[in-house]
Amino acid sequence: MDKKKYPKSRLGWLWENMSGKRILFIAALFGTALYNVLQLVVPHYSRQLINLFSEAEKEHLPLADKSDTIYHLIFLMVALTLFRVVVVYLDCMAYERVSQGALFRIRNYLYDKIQRQDMKFYSTYRTGDLMTRVTGDLDAVRHNIAWVIRCIVESLTLFLSASVYFFLINVKLALCIVSIAPLIFFIVFRFRKKVGPMHKALREKLAGMNTDAQENISGNRVVKAFAREEYEKEKFDASNKDYRDTNMKTQMVWLKFFPFVELIANALPVILLLVGGVFIINGEITMGDYTAFSLLIWAIANPMRMMGNIMNEFQRFSAASDKIMEIYYSEPEIVNHPDAIPHPGRFEGKVEFDLVSFQYEDGKLPVLKDISFVAEPGETVAIIGETGCGKTSLIQMIPRFYEPNSGKVLVDGVPVENYNMTDLRKNIGLATQDVLLYSDSIEGNISYGATALTAEEVEKYARYSAASDFIHRMPEGYDTIVGERGVGLSGGQKQRISLARALAIKPSILILDDTTSAVDMETEKQIQHSLRNLDFPCTKIIIAQRISTTKFADKILVLKDGRIIESGNHKDLVAAGGYYSDLVKLQLGDSMVSAS
Amino acid sequence: MAEKNTYKQDERLDEPFNIRHLLLASAYIKKYLPKMILALIISALGAAVGLLAPIFTQKAIDEAIPKADKPYLFLLGGMLVLVFFISVIFALIRSKLMIRVSQSIIYDIRKDLFAHLQKLPFQYYDDRPHGKILIRVVNYVNSVSDMLSNGLINVILEMINLILIIIFMLIVDVQMTLVVMCGVPFLAAFLFWIKNRQRRAWQRVSNKNSNLNAYLQENIVGARITQIFAREDENAKIFSGLADDCRHTWMHAVRCNNLVWPGIDAISVCIRAAIFISGMILFGQGSKSIGTILAISSYSSRFWQPIMNMGNIFNNFLNNMAYLERIFETLGEPVTVDDKKGAAEMQPIKGAVSFRDVCFSYEPGKEILHKVSFDVKPGMSVALVGPTGAGKSTIVNLISRFYNVDSGQVLIDGQDISEVTLASLRSQMGIMMQDSFIFSGTIKDNILYGKLDATDEEIQKAAKLVCADSFINGMQDGYDTEVKERGSLLSQGQKQLISFARTVLSDPAILILDEATSSIDVQTEKALQQGLNSMLKGRTSFIIAHRLSTIRGCDLIMYIDDGGITEAGTHDELMAKKGDYYHLYTSQLEDIA
Repeated sequence: MDKKKYPKSRLGWLWENMSGKRILFIAALFGTALYNVLQLVVPHYSRQLINLFSEAEKEHLPLADKSDTIYHLIFLMVALTLFRVVVVYLDCMAYERVSQGALFRIRNYLYDKIQRQDMKFYSTYRTGDLMTRVTGDLDAVRHNIAWVIRCIVESLTLFLSASVYFFLINVKLALCIVSIAPLIFFIVFRFRKKVGPMHKALREKLAGMNTDAQENISGNRVVKAFAREEYEKEKFDASNKDYRDTNMKTQMVWLKFFPFVELIANALPVILLLVGGVFIINGEITMGDYTAFSLLIWAIANPMRMMGNIMNEFQRFSAASDKIMEIYYSEPEIVNHPDAIPHPGRFEGKVEFDLVSFQYEDGKLPVLKDISFVAEPGETVAIIGETGCGKTSLIQMIPRFYEPNSGKVLVDGVPVENYNMTDLRKNIGLATQDVLLYSDSIEGNISYGATALTAEEVEKYARYSAASDFIHRMPEGYDTIVGERGVGLSGGQKQRISLARALAIKPSILILDDTTSAVDMETEKQIQHSLRNLDFPCTKIIIAQRISTTKFADKILVLKDGRIIESGNHKDLVAAGGYYSDLVKLQLGDSMVSAS
Repeated sequence: MAEKNTYKQDERLDEPFNIRHLLLASAYIKKYLPKMILALIISALGAAVGLLAPIFTQKAIDEAIPKADKPYLFLLGGMLVLVFFISVIFALIRSKLMIRVSQSIIYDIRKDLFAHLQKLPFQYYDDRPHGKILIRVVNYVNSVSDMLSNGLINVILEMINLILIIIFMLIVDVQMTLVVMCGVPFLAAFLFWIKNRQRRAWQRVSNKNSNLNAYLQENIVGARITQIFAREDENAKIFSGLADDCRHTWMHAVRCNNLVWPGIDAISVCIRAAIFISGMILFGQGSKSIGTILAISSYSSRFWQPIMNMGNIFNNFLNNMAYLERIFETLGEPVTVDDKKGAAEMQPIKGAVSFRDVCFSYEPGKEILHKVSFDVKPGMSVALVGPTGAGKSTIVNLISRFYNVDSGQVLIDGQDISEVTLASLRSQMGIMMQDSFIFSGTIKDNILYGKLDATDEEIQKAAKLVCADSFINGMQDGYDTEVKERGSLLSQGQKQLISFARTVLSDPAILILDEATSSIDVQTEKALQQGLNSMLKGRTSFIIAHRLSTIRGCDLIMYIDDGGITEAGTHDELMAKKGDYYHLYTSQLEDIA
């Protein structure tokens, strides 16, 4: 099997995550051994009891003579069974506790790992895939601790104690029986080789199905708009079928090995009967010895039967844990530098690009080339340019979502990579193009970045972003729950809430990525007005399409094919008669022509 | 409609333990009944053959060995091998059958669930986190298959087993059988006690898992937002809280769950003790032979074995009922927008659209549209303007019948659209929504979504028309560039152009653009407009936009506010009227000038 190298083996990794529960886990292992030994001991007493009864029957003796012994044995049988039952229960609960503890730990760790990844990670792994790892795959890990490991200990205990017992009675007969065990191991290891890749494939199919379903649910509006329900059903049917077939195939693999394992397990009593019978006839063992063997032969046969199942489950665990460890040990490329300076306070807000060039790793062309500009604290810089000219990539360098291939991005005169990322980002308010709200109340969404906000403050920021009017008109006002991604709200409404959310953290640097594109003109005017009159100092970097937005900027950058082709204020650029002035003419002229 | 749900809220489930769910489940089993019965018979036969084994063993011990008759011994050994061989083959056949059945049942349930989800209205998706829908389709369905297939067969087998044993015991001795059976009331009380606890406990587990899934999905999708607000620590805390809920509810549930097996074990050993003790007392009175006691004692252990097995199945059943309930709840979710019985196919649309006194509300009592009426002739381009939230999107959504009107009628070519099939209606409409959703796959796949059998030329033509061709060609693999989930490598404007191309490719009779070009720059939009104008010739179109340059040339402009149309007319007419539209327009001019 091709294995990626992780710092720890699968079991080592499990052990690490049992931290705090390791003693309990070891106790649970001993508990398993204990109740399995008890399982062998208890029948011993009930057998003695039965022997007493049968002797009494044979010899026609009244039982009353032996009533003391009988009561004693009954007491032992009941007491030991009750003891065993309690051990079993406590043991199961111990495994549950350990496995839930590990599940909890790994799950939190995974979640944290996922949410701190860089953009490259999110474009590599799909949502449904990641979700499968944190849910379905992780459940296989839990199952491994709670059940598989327990079964292994159980099988080993039974097998070993029965073997010891057998060897004590008669070495030759014991050897004949136990020597068959390696055969089982051989078969089970062959099985492992076959079933391992199947489980790997199965995990992939599960993730694939999850991804398909997830995308369909997220894109339900488009599906309906194009009346593509049938197509979607067919598509999902393919992955559903694929999963079913792989599942069947995986289970069928065991059926190929099952007859051999079952026959070998069943051969044990036959061997016992034949060899034991010959031994009795030859006088090598007594009938009593034979009975002792036959009563415990299941303790050898059952573990053998279990082996296949255990191996199957263990392969499932291996496949699942590989997928989890891939995320668990993944590291984002953009991380805090070891010598990053903490900067807990507020930033001045000076943003500087110094000959920044950038290209996506899988892109063909450079997205940005030699970008240089300065935004002084409190200034408004507007960026304008055609679709796909690199505007969004540019602003994403400021919070370090991407790093330039060459050149520097500086905030307050310090390269951004020298800051602690959290400190840097806490000072940046970004309202993205693709508005993403959470299924929470409007208030919860606005105060997402600043959780301690009072209701008055929330309303203030809603007012700033011209959202308070429509929020007030909703029956539940700020407590209105918006759906995932803010469905149910219009595009303009979503944008305004996302703007309020960005303002609410009182950023020293506010970045608006075409945040008012879906807002009507009247509302936009209000927003522009309040942005000019914020009650905290703030540098604004605004991507816009409309001249009405760029007009008031201190500086306008015109971007074309990743380069700044013009820069200056509205007046200068109009006077310069370049691209920008054409744009103004286009937007204004259009309107003028029709107005006349 | 149900109230909206978030990751913080548990989903309510008011229904008591519902036998209807079991009936629904039985519908899925029905299809495989012959196979299951076959598996049952084979299992029963296998078990019956297996009963021969002790007989041969007994014969060997009682006859062959004492007589030192080796050939006889080996003959009996051979017989044993034969018996085992046959039962292994039977077991093999059963397993083969049941693997198919159980996987097919999962497949069927999942297929139906998915198909049903396709029919559910927007509202369903709007009202709950998508992670909560997803967990039902994938995780829950996986859990229930074994219960519906192998669980069922095993219960029946164990039942048969149990009944046979009871009959044997009754034949041996009625009184002693009663002693064995006196454990049953205890068992029943015990299981009843457990059942009530378990059901609630597992429901809580499924609820908490669902919450976790919802939060997880939202935060993976919204990772960028988390990072920009540096909310990682806060989110990790919330997630940890949800994971802790899962852990606690799980531990609570297994506390009862793990009690079943030891509990039955404990009851059974007490019964055995009771047999010996009562046997002794009865034997002391001379009414029972010791042989009877021995026989009953051995039957007693065989009586409790199937009960213990059934206990395990019962456990499993309680556990999975919590999931099954959720699945059937979703399957039972009413389809509010559906084809009427005997709905006709929509004829090829010419493009006349009329509203007749249409009233509509998303929530009862809060009317968004009140008695809206208008007529649009085929081929007209109609612009809807007005403040955000006034109901512009609602109007266009009603044309495609994404929602049903409360009262009034929506007519296309004089045909009430509620009387025709949804597929025939929507497949003739091209709707571009505010949120341009991009599927993972290539750019080509995404455009193809508009017309599945389109040729490469058609795709390129559509892309050229919307001015997307040049940027697509500039990408690494051109049309075959993988755009990843939600088009994360594309800018918002590029996404809009791609979904525009998708809509154009579908060659709709009626085109609806709902703020479709808001993220596209003005120049590109202008170029796009020219291409679009040629395409729009002869087609009815509805356009919602804020950029007045987009709207100006439309044949009809409707100003929507206060739940209705306040003004309607051409640009010139409305400008002359100096009303709402005039104000909107002049304010935009002021801004630019």
